[in-house]
Amino acid sequence: MTNLLEIHDLHARIVGGRDILKGINLTIKAGEVHAIMGPNGAGKSTLSSVLAGKPGYEVTLGHVLYQGHELASLGPDERARQGIFLAFQYPVEISGVNNMYFLRAALNAVRKQRGEAELDAAQFLKAVKAKLSLLDISEDLLKRAVNVGFSGGEKKRNEIFQMAMLEPALAILDETDSGLDIDALRAVANGVNRLRDPGRAIVMITHYQRLLDYIEPDFVHVLSDGKIVASGDKTLAMDLEERGYAHLASAA
Amino acid sequence: MSATLDTVETILAAGEDNYKYGFVTDIDVDELPPGLNEDTVRFISATKAEPAWLLEWRLKAFRRWQGMTAPDWAKLKIAPIDYQASTYYSAPKAASGPKSLDEIDPELLKTYEKLGIPLGERAALAGIAVDAVFDSVSVATTFKDTLAAQGIIFCSFGDAVREHPELVQKYLGSVVPPGDNFFSALNSAVFSDGSFAYIPPGIRCPMELSTYFRINAAKSGQFERTLLIADKGAYVSYLEGCTAPQRDENQLHAAVVELVAQEDAEIKYSTVQNWYPGDAEGKGGIYNFVTKRGACRGANAKIAWTQVETGSAITWKYPSCILEGENSVGEFYSVAITNHMQQADTGTKMIHIGRNTRSTIISKGISAGRGQNTYRGAVKILPGAENARNYTQCDSLLIGKTCGAHAIPYIDSRNPSARVEHEATASKVSDEQMFYCQQRGLTQEDALSLIVNGFCKEVLKELPMEFAVEAQKLLAVSLEGSVG
Amino acid sequence: MTIVKSETTPYLAAYQAAIDTTEPTWLRVRRAAAIEQFSVLGFPTRRDEAWRFTNLRRLTKAPMPPAHPATSLPDPDAGVIESLRLAGRVCRLVLNNSAVVAAQSSGVDLPAGAWFGSIAEALETRPDLLKAAFATTDPAGNQPFAALNEALFTGGFLLALAPGVSFDAPFEIIHVNTDAASHPRCAILLGEGASATVMEHFTGSGAGWNNIVTCVDLGVGAKLHHVKLQTESPAAIHLAQTRATLAQAASYDSTVLSFGALLSREDIQVVLAGEMADFTLNGGYFLGGQQEATFAPFVEHRVPGCSSRQLVKGVIGGQAHGVFLGTIAVRPGADQTDARQTNRNLLLNAGTSVDTKPELEILADDVKCSHGATVGDLDDSALFYLQARGIDAATARRMLIGGFAADIIDASGAGETIRQHLHRHLSVWLEHLP
Repeated sequence: MTNLLEIHDLHARIVGGRDILKGINLTIKAGEVHAIMGPNGAGKSTLSSVLAGKPGYEVTLGHVLYQGHELASLGPDERARQGIFLAFQYPVEISGVNNMYFLRAALNAVRKQRGEAELDAAQFLKAVKAKLSLLDISEDLLKRAVNVGFSGGEKKRNEIFQMAMLEPALAILDETDSGLDIDALRAVANGVNRLRDPGRAIVMITHYQRLLDYIEPDFVHVLSDGKIVASGDKTLAMDLEERGYAHLASAA
Repeated sequence: MSATLDTVETILAAGEDNYKYGFVTDIDVDELPPGLNEDTVRFISATKAEPAWLLEWRLKAFRRWQGMTAPDWAKLKIAPIDYQASTYYSAPKAASGPKSLDEIDPELLKTYEKLGIPLGERAALAGIAVDAVFDSVSVATTFKDTLAAQGIIFCSFGDAVREHPELVQKYLGSVVPPGDNFFSALNSAVFSDGSFAYIPPGIRCPMELSTYFRINAAKSGQFERTLLIADKGAYVSYLEGCTAPQRDENQLHAAVVELVAQEDAEIKYSTVQNWYPGDAEGKGGIYNFVTKRGACRGANAKIAWTQVETGSAITWKYPSCILEGENSVGEFYSVAITNHMQQADTGTKMIHIGRNTRSTIISKGISAGRGQNTYRGAVKILPGAENARNYTQCDSLLIGKTCGAHAIPYIDSRNPSARVEHEATASKVSDEQMFYCQQRGLTQEDALSLIVNGFCKEVLKELPMEFAVEAQKLLAVSLEGSVG
Repeated sequence: MTIVKSETTPYLAAYQAAIDTTEPTWLRVRRAAAIEQFSVLGFPTRRDEAWRFTNLRRLTKAPMPPAHPATSLPDPDAGVIESLRLAGRVCRLVLNNSAVVAAQSSGVDLPAGAWFGSIAEALETRPDLLKAAFATTDPAGNQPFAALNEALFTGGFLLALAPGVSFDAPFEIIHVNTDAASHPRCAILLGEGASATVMEHFTGSGAGWNNIVTCVDLGVGAKLHHVKLQTESPAAIHLAQTRATLAQAASYDSTVLSFGALLSREDIQVVLAGEMADFTLNGGYFLGGQQEATFAPFVEHRVPGCSSRQLVKGVIGGQAHGVFLGTIAVRPGADQTDARQTNRNLLLNAGTSVDTKPELEILADDVKCSHGATVGDLDDSALFYLQARGIDAATARRMLIGGFAADIIDASGAGETIRQHLHRHLSVWLEHLP
């Protein structure tokens, strides 16, 4: 199986700041689910931002290959069209822009890239209905402006719903569990589990082990001070739950 | 009748006798006869034994002033002012120079004690160095030597001209040029004294510096000049208080304050303005026409103005910041109360020139009686002010049916990366709040005072502790009349 | 003897030349007073607080008096009108430089008590209605452009509904302006309990000057949805003054979108004269190139219990300049006033500028008033969010700008057809963004 994502000695920072990522190495194959855990300030969100191409971040050393191609020169929208999906920790509220309209524009941009025909309104609605059943999302949410007035749980479910619609090859879930109560967490996790697919890799970035109770990872990595200091299977996460991050960080 | 209405009537019924600073000090003075011409300017300069350049500077300002007209754009009704009827120099006898405290007229010391500002070092307010300005001259400066040990210069303006002419010449008029406006030109021509402070690089001024202004003489104007320089990395907190006797005629106070903050320096300038506001019918009171401006010259400099304006018949005042240095910060926190016939047109100007400059404006206006209260502000973002930020919150509280509250903000942005946000509200004291407080046992007056203090909290918390307490009391006094 | 401002003499001459002795005396008296007022006032300058941000140089540099005798202009292209008009059942009036184009106008059967037509026709057949329109509005006051309009107007439209009359189809007025100077006078008079929807579209070509005065008079409980779409040529000057008076419980819902003209100004002066009256303004200026637009709503709460809402948004690109001069004035005794005023601006690139001055003037105490203003660029995090979903940067920008502006259209109560019509214009404008 070919590597979907290869990260080699990645150093990155916020433009003008000090390096936050200090040499990340990681390889991800299609079909795998990886969890990246670590304490606050370890660089988890920086990693997801750099992978998605968020403006304001820069790679100072190393490189990232996605489907065998260098990512660095691609803008965030090009990455998205090539199948990289970031589920935001804080989904952005965009007043005045209808959720459905937005999603259709996004989906058609992605489909165009894949060489598929754009969906008209009726086809789109059919596709939406099919995916809605996957998640516990009311149609009412789709009629509102993007994330405006959504509860925390609704926002996160909307992210997963978008993922279901866009069918990415690589999904990065940034702290998707944060701010969710147990019912919302279960609903989101169920959605993600249904989207597990041999053709798709999922990277979960999280501070807590509890998300992994619902979405079982194949690999767990511990990020500390900008480096991966430990990798293992899911037992590593359980170990962390008991012993905390401190001993790993000092070992780095 | 609603709870608020009762209170309003209490306020309206309040007499004018609640101004406890309204006494007159009986003291011998050297005084110029009323009138203003070039000779007046020459006399003031000669009395103070000023260098020739300063006299020239004054005369230039005077000629400039003669060609100017008083600003009429403010929302103020000002009776025509006869500038020839005012006295431009009045000083306690034998007080032409700085004195040791022993030589100061005991009447003066008593005056300041009555005002709550003891000047004797033993009794002096802990942690506050005071420059006391009485009519036209500075009569005493406390803790001078303690400050000098750290290289801090804090003295009367007259002393500064004598002892540090190079600093005065370098900075005087550099922030507020004499021709800036009608009143600054007048001040530049006839200013008599004021305070001067220079904080050398890297020094954090160990105590609050303070000027206490007192107008005593009848028919005299006060035209003081304050110049404050915080050199690189320096910090200073400066307090200013003002009172005047209760007199039937209007008196003019036209001060100029200039602040310069160099790289990484910070200046906090706090004012509690309690000039005599006139009586309930609008007779007498101070015309407070003041030009205050600070320049953040270097990167990361910060200037914060905090003002509590409770006094004066008319206030015309816009403490402003010129944000030149990158990342420099300007702040303006203001409480202005107008009761009876008082009028205030006050606010600020924030001029964003440098990149990443930030400013915050919090203004709380309270109108009662027949008072008219206007917030006037300007936020200017120049094309080079990349990523500049301004936030303005301006709230008005109305008490009674005969007062007025106005907000006139100007926003001018010329840089797309800048963000400017302005919010303003106007409302009356809520009946529900009043009832709730009264139901818990507070009198109407106490309830109102509590609510007003709450309304002003964001501003009051910016004041140094000693001032905050005084300001809270003043708010109560200004509003409650006889209760205070 | 009053002093006549020199720049007004060409207009004085035009007035003299156009004096029509067949007009009713009351109108001739008004016109004479108005031209005298204009000649004394002259054009506003930057020293006038209300005009300090407005660049009138093109207008003051070279006089643009109306041609006399009025040259007859070719009718606007029928195809163009066809593409501009509202779909569906509509009562339409097409005005060419303020004169009616009968062939392109179309009526539907109006109910009894309804009158809709050109000012010239009203003057001929229903001078009583025209007089009523003048009686209920203040004389021009200290407003030079309104005075000039009063002195020189020849065309425009008048809509009058008698008490209790409502009409379900919209009244549509398409104003076409060319190189000429035009001074349309318009009036909408709704009697007690009457209701109407009026859609005005200003369009045209050339470097003309449109100086419009519209009087709106709403009787007790009357309801008006008034939409104005301004897409004049990028060389035109468009100065419009709307003066509305609302009686008790009347409701005035106004939507004003400015896309066109080099220099445009919307003075919207609303007097809430009867208790429980309600005014809503949703406005937008969409500017590029060297355009300058001013929105100057002045809302006066004269009596207790009225409410007003103003939301004006600006999108400014090119080297354009947006100006908002809003005032809420609460007069003594106007308690239980609920007034809100918001101005939001998007600056799309360097070289743009905005001046905004939301003003409150409050002389009553039992009020709830607020205003807010913001200036900024597009939210970077929203832009990234859209891009992270695969939408290219230019489309993402357009979507965000469209989203920013959408609510001013969505808030209009003028009906779905008109809202869609406005959305289409907004989309066209967005597509042409660089």
